[in-house]
Amino acid sequence: MRRILGMIGTAFMGAAHEVGGMLILTGQVLRYLVPPRLDPMETWRNLYKVGVKSFPIVVVTALLVGAIMVIQTGQMVAEFDAFGLLGWGAGFATLREVGPVMIGLMFSGRVGANNTAELGTMKVTEQVDALRALAINPITYLIVPRFVAIVSMMFLLTVIGNLTALLGGAATAQALLGVNPQLFYASIAEYLELADLMNGLVKAWFFGVAIAVVSCYFGMSTTGGAVGVGRSVNNSVVASAVSIFVIDYLLTWIMK
Amino acid sequence: MTEASARPRFGTRLLAAIGEPIVLPGREVVAIARVLWLTIYYAFADRIRWREVLRQCYEIGNRSVFFISVVLGFLGMILIYQSGFQAQRIVGDLQLLGALYVQMLFREFAPTITALMLATRVGTGIAAEIGSMVVTEQVDALRMSNAEPVQYLVVPRFIATVLMTVVLSCVSLVVAYFAGMFAGAAFFDINPRTFFNPTLLIWGDLYIFLMKSFAYGIAIPVIAAEAGLSAFGGSEGVGWATTKSVVNASLAITFLDFLLSGVGYVFFFS
Amino acid sequence: MIEVRNVTKYYGAERVLDDVSVTVREGTQTGLIGPGGAGKTLLIKIMSGLVPPDEGQVFVDGVEITGMNAIELAKVREKMGMLFQNYALFDFMTVEDNIAFPLRQEGKLDEDVIKQKVADILESVDLPGIQHQYPRELSGGMKKRVTFARAVIHDPPILFYDDPTAGLDPVTSSKIFILLEKRKVESGATSVVITHDILGVRDIIDEFVMIEKGQVLFRGSRAEIEATDQQRVRQFWLGEAD
Repeated sequence: MRRILGMIGTAFMGAAHEVGGMLILTGQVLRYLVPPRLDPMETWRNLYKVGVKSFPIVVVTALLVGAIMVIQTGQMVAEFDAFGLLGWGAGFATLREVGPVMIGLMFSGRVGANNTAELGTMKVTEQVDALRALAINPITYLIVPRFVAIVSMMFLLTVIGNLTALLGGAATAQALLGVNPQLFYASIAEYLELADLMNGLVKAWFFGVAIAVVSCYFGMSTTGGAVGVGRSVNNSVVASAVSIFVIDYLLTWIMK
Repeated sequence: MTEASARPRFGTRLLAAIGEPIVLPGREVVAIARVLWLTIYYAFADRIRWREVLRQCYEIGNRSVFFISVVLGFLGMILIYQSGFQAQRIVGDLQLLGALYVQMLFREFAPTITALMLATRVGTGIAAEIGSMVVTEQVDALRMSNAEPVQYLVVPRFIATVLMTVVLSCVSLVVAYFAGMFAGAAFFDINPRTFFNPTLLIWGDLYIFLMKSFAYGIAIPVIAAEAGLSAFGGSEGVGWATTKSVVNASLAITFLDFLLSGVGYVFFFS
Repeated sequence: MIEVRNVTKYYGAERVLDDVSVTVREGTQTGLIGPGGAGKTLLIKIMSGLVPPDEGQVFVDGVEITGMNAIELAKVREKMGMLFQNYALFDFMTVEDNIAFPLRQEGKLDEDVIKQKVADILESVDLPGIQHQYPRELSGGMKKRVTFARAVIHDPPILFYDDPTAGLDPVTSSKIFILLEKRKVESGATSVVITHDILGVRDIIDEFVMIEKGQVLFRGSRAEIEATDQQRVRQFWLGEAD
């Protein structure tokens, strides 16, 4: 019995330690964001890297997600012969939920993991210490630019992703269910509100923040050589995924 | 072979830019297919180290079950929450919510979200382990002692992941279902007895569920192993290998989802 | 005996090994020396079949191993042992499992015989009783000796040592070189030793091969190196900077 309590206690302390570390990091980032004090070259470089390199993946994912949502909703809609509701059904799910979450997960994989890996490698090869020795602040040079890049790109790419998902959905609706695009879009226009879109985008923004904080934290706290880097990336993607779902739940509840 | 040359001509660079998004992923797919083939070959050709498989099952299963349950619990509540509000707004009647929900869980959310979560937790784990062994020359040391890396490292993890993906998908199904039931009762006052409505389920739903979990279970370890085995260059290489594994696995899962959903629609529905 | 004929290996457009031909005669200890990045580790990986050359051939005991498949190479490697530069110890296994690994893979001996052999070899490298520890608990010198034990436990007639004394203090280095010499004398093994420790290795090497930028600069005994008039070789041998 004592052992079980011990295990729970340790797990809890461990989690608290991680969360605390992340909050501290967030505080440091905010301090350097207001007023903005970040390295412009690094920021630009990261914007390019994060944005351009995730673009193809987000587009492909969005197309597939849109198609999948139509296929799944289509089965239900066909049961009740309510094809006019197809655009609504697939659309609201995509814009509010599935779109931001899937893009968030994909982003956490592509960008979050990469970020943790880069920062982690720099940490274990003592490059971070080298920066400090050269009187360069690692926060303004490394962290804040990545933070800004990840949050802004996540948001922008979700906008693009949502659009692409609807396109993918429309194409599948025509190809598989014989619902023509006009009907599809009419259904979307009639039943979906701006709130549905904004809802999803707000979520996307928060997901971006979560991914940025988590990936930077795990990267900077890596220890233990090559093995340590692998472990950090692992922890980083898992923590990002959990955060995405928890934040999703909280926001859904708050924003109804 | 040319000497270190000047920057290639514009025409060449243009062709390269167009070809690159096709050739590089193409090479990846070939490499992954090769690992898949080798894994299946060794799984049948050589004796399987069942103790190692069991150890991996424990690693994967026990250590992911909490994480998966948390994620799918939240997901279940979110899904009911969202669908409930929309249904109230448009259709006005929540009778069939439970019935439609359980169908969606079988067909889509339970296997796919479980797989995506396993791709992050288990996939990166495998890629990181194998990747760090590659860059520290342990894989070379294995080959020097006549242990073929795919047979020694990949096969046990492969078998364990396939089994655990199916098992954990079932766990997810149950967890998400009850979470949804709870949300239905808590937010919309839906009586659990009304919620519990298996009348819309068809055998096809079960088949799709199994097909998807099985397919994802094969994709995740193979892709992770390929990413790990192609690592080079110290800690940077390991970082890159783990990133590659999660990205490729997520894409593969999404693509398989699309494919199998389509197949499911055509075969079991129309 | 190992024979490398006109081997070239490319990395992109660059030749990391350029038309290299080396013969390692039976029962001799050959020293592979040269500046960092010259291609020495790559050469022994090609000799052991871990890496295939882009051009040229490799012969082990008269049989050509270039172009062999994995199963055929496995048979050839039964005769080989390798000590890796970065230990390459399996970190998920104990010291005993690490050292016993080649024997267990061969599958010819009983478990108690294997355990005894491991105990004996640990004695001989001055590390008695550490069977149940894990590699991460050991110091660099201890790990090097465990790697040595793993490389030689199945009594291979051909041995590759990649920088066996890198990062070790002078006393431990001498101990390792003594082990290498003992193995050659007691079992008549053929071996290739990569090292930067010219002083430490002078007395135990039969023939030196110096490689720079992927090319063989010099081949000969210690006496021949000390008498050579090739400037670059003398410089390297005496450790003189420009």
